[in-house]
Amino acid sequence: MKKRARLVAAAMTLAALYPQPAAAQEHTAVKAGFALPANSGKTILVFRPAVRVGAQSTGGLFEPNGDWTDRARANLEAALAARQAALGNIVLAAPVAFGDDARLVEEYQALFGALSRAVIGYQFFRGNRLPTKKRENKAGVFDWSLGSGVSALPGAKDADYALFIYDKDAYGSTGRKILQIFAALGPGIPVKSGEHAGYAGLVDLRSGDVVWLNADLAMGGDVRTPEGAQKRIGQLLEDFPGSTAAPAAPAASTK
Amino acid sequence: MTRTRTATLALFAAAAPLFAMPAAAHGYREQGKPVAVAASTLVVIPNRDWNQLAGKPGKKAERWTLDGEQLDQVTFYGGIAPGEPLLRERDRKHRPLPKLTRETLLAEVPELLEATYRTDRAIASFTLHDARPERFLGTDGIRFAYEYVDDDNLPRRGEAHAALVKGQLYMATLDAPRLHYFDRVAPSYRALIDSATLR
Amino acid sequence: MPVLAPVLAAATTPAPPPPPYTGAYQPQGVDEIGLWKEMDEDERVLANSPVLIRDEALNAYVRGVLCATVGADRCKAARLYILRTPLFNANMAPNGTMRVFSGLLLRVRSEAELGAVLGHEFGHFEQRHSLAAFKAHRAGTDVLSWGAVLAGMLPYAQGAYSLRNMQISIYGRLSRFSRDQERDADLHGIGYLNGSALRPQAASVVWQNVMTEAERSAAARGQAHPRFDRIPFFASHPADAERAATMAALARPDAATRDDGAARYAAALAPWLPLFLDDQIKLNDFGASDYLIGMLGEHGATAPLWVARGDLYRARGYPRDLVSAAEFYANAIALDPNLPEAQRGLGLSLFKTGRRAEGAEALRRYLQLKPAAPDAAMIGMLVATAGQGQ
Repeated sequence: MKKRARLVAAAMTLAALYPQPAAAQEHTAVKAGFALPANSGKTILVFRPAVRVGAQSTGGLFEPNGDWTDRARANLEAALAARQAALGNIVLAAPVAFGDDARLVEEYQALFGALSRAVIGYQFFRGNRLPTKKRENKAGVFDWSLGSGVSALPGAKDADYALFIYDKDAYGSTGRKILQIFAALGPGIPVKSGEHAGYAGLVDLRSGDVVWLNADLAMGGDVRTPEGAQKRIGQLLEDFPGSTAAPAAPAASTK
Repeated sequence: MTRTRTATLALFAAAAPLFAMPAAAHGYREQGKPVAVAASTLVVIPNRDWNQLAGKPGKKAERWTLDGEQLDQVTFYGGIAPGEPLLRERDRKHRPLPKLTRETLLAEVPELLEATYRTDRAIASFTLHDARPERFLGTDGIRFAYEYVDDDNLPRRGEAHAALVKGQLYMATLDAPRLHYFDRVAPSYRALIDSATLR
Repeated sequence: MPVLAPVLAAATTPAPPPPPYTGAYQPQGVDEIGLWKEMDEDERVLANSPVLIRDEALNAYVRGVLCATVGADRCKAARLYILRTPLFNANMAPNGTMRVFSGLLLRVRSEAELGAVLGHEFGHFEQRHSLAAFKAHRAGTDVLSWGAVLAGMLPYAQGAYSLRNMQISIYGRLSRFSRDQERDADLHGIGYLNGSALRPQAASVVWQNVMTEAERSAAARGQAHPRFDRIPFFASHPADAERAATMAALARPDAATRDDGAARYAAALAPWLPLFLDDQIKLNDFGASDYLIGMLGEHGATAPLWVARGDLYRARGYPRDLVSAAEFYANAIALDPNLPEAQRGLGLSLFKTGRRAEGAEALRRYLQLKPAAPDAAMIGMLVATAGQGQ
């Protein structure tokens, strides 16, 4: 009991320390000067998206659901291909890699994940922005890179850009939704019901520069349905360079 | 069941003081302006603008970054005395950190850092290489390099410079992913090392 | 102890050998299919993990021990991965992914002991315990949600480590089994061993050793009671003495004279022992490491074991430790004068106790034996200054 009280106290301290409303968070950026006109005929290599879909129980335990994951992957891939075709770019699935090649892809995906978290934490998150990033933000600079080593990735020589996608979905169970309400009434902690995080980044396969990044910890769209997956891809690819419109992106960026 | 739950709670309670650190803003370290680091007399002159991350990792430690600590981190240790660990002990009872001793030799500092990283961050795979003498803070010092895999599954490289001055350890380290970031940040880190003096 | 009674009664007879293997099993139902998909994704990452030990000889050897334990048919269901992680742990996911941690390989001394742990995990796999445990614990994680949400709100700098701990707890929970399941896995694990050519009595020895290690770890840190729940393999495994007794009773008495494969095991692990010992010593867990070294050297300490003990004492570094360390390195050198690490440790220990000239002598031998050592330049410097006084 005492421990739970301490926990709640810690929670309240935290809430006071980090009063950032979710809206203070930016989630998309383009490297200055970069443009990818629609129908430019550029080739984009897509690495097998890391997709995980499941339910979130009351305790927040992620319950993987294979059927959902399969459906979501298929839906997302279809939605992605459809959307890219509309942009006039050629989408290439990265070749299946083995051995050292596979390890290289894995390491770059881990680096992309680390980079996305750094961007979210230190450039997008206004209350936590690094001083040098504040200055860059004012000057409209978005300068992040995976390094020119990306040209060694399998399939890189046949493409201009690589699209990295990370997507994790956990749908809140009824119990979780009750916790959410209780928490809001009690200590005033925002408890998310479900977790819908997605990072997507377009990387120049020569320089390794991240020319566009969309990293969002609160995505919409039920990826278990084709319509939802289209919405999600719309959000993941929100402000994708060359986009003429953002058809399904209700959650506005606060840039 | 009960036991595991209590353990989790205890774990969280142990981490709570860490959370309660004042949420001070990150510091700005402007190019060309000498600045004392790690609550010590160790002074560096930034060769470019740096960020000093809020929340010190230890009583006598301080962390800088260019792009966020996931991608690069420079840590300064300012005058660690015998009996002290390099970093704050997160769980003194169950995971005590190794301590500097009066007898610790410069040649043993790499082992001290490795044991600290392993204990503190539960790093499984860590390899030391290339330890050689190099002047640091105007005295005989050591430079060493290492590699490890952090638990985000991302292999990182490290480089450190250390010297013992009046029995106290002064050290700086650079930790960054071996892909791209280490090589990118190393020159800036080394420029900091070259500028370092004891006031 | 009414709950234990039937088990103790049951354990007066040896575990029966396993029934004929029914072949590859396919997942059924939403939960199980989901769990498998998740494991498949994990395995994809695991297979490319930078901490994987890919050495073919070691992988083939450990796999051979698994096959010798559970039999060739069952063995085909397992895909084995050895991770360089200094923890006593092994587990087997429902999709057949078996993870073996280097810390386990360090702690067992024979094929029979290794087979006992791998067979236990295979028993969980064959009985589909993960799924049952997952369903049982789904309701028990509400407290964790607080931690995860709070940590999620924090900037990386302050939140990362606590979140990491939370995730370890959550994932740890997935492989936490109930006591009944543990007993079931014991029954199957020892059943495999009973039906193999290896000595089934090894199972209870492993158990006792790991419990003792936890006690020594706690004692060296001034704690009255060990934290069994901090050892991954123990996280929910009941760590009581009755269990070791039960395990002993499950072993076929007439199998006690079988070969336990200790010599073959020692030979296969020899190239890896120094690395695994070094990984363990740098965990800064004096009591556990000291016990482990003693346990491994029960039937005669080897040079690498003396070096490990020297490193352990030198790292703790009380003045009396440094004197002991020098002795331990000297013992290693008596067994193997050409072991560079022993000369290095001896030299450093002597240096630290003020015997610089003798220390320099040992360090010189280290450099002769290992001229390309990564710290050759640094040690060379130490040798050069030895003559110059402080």
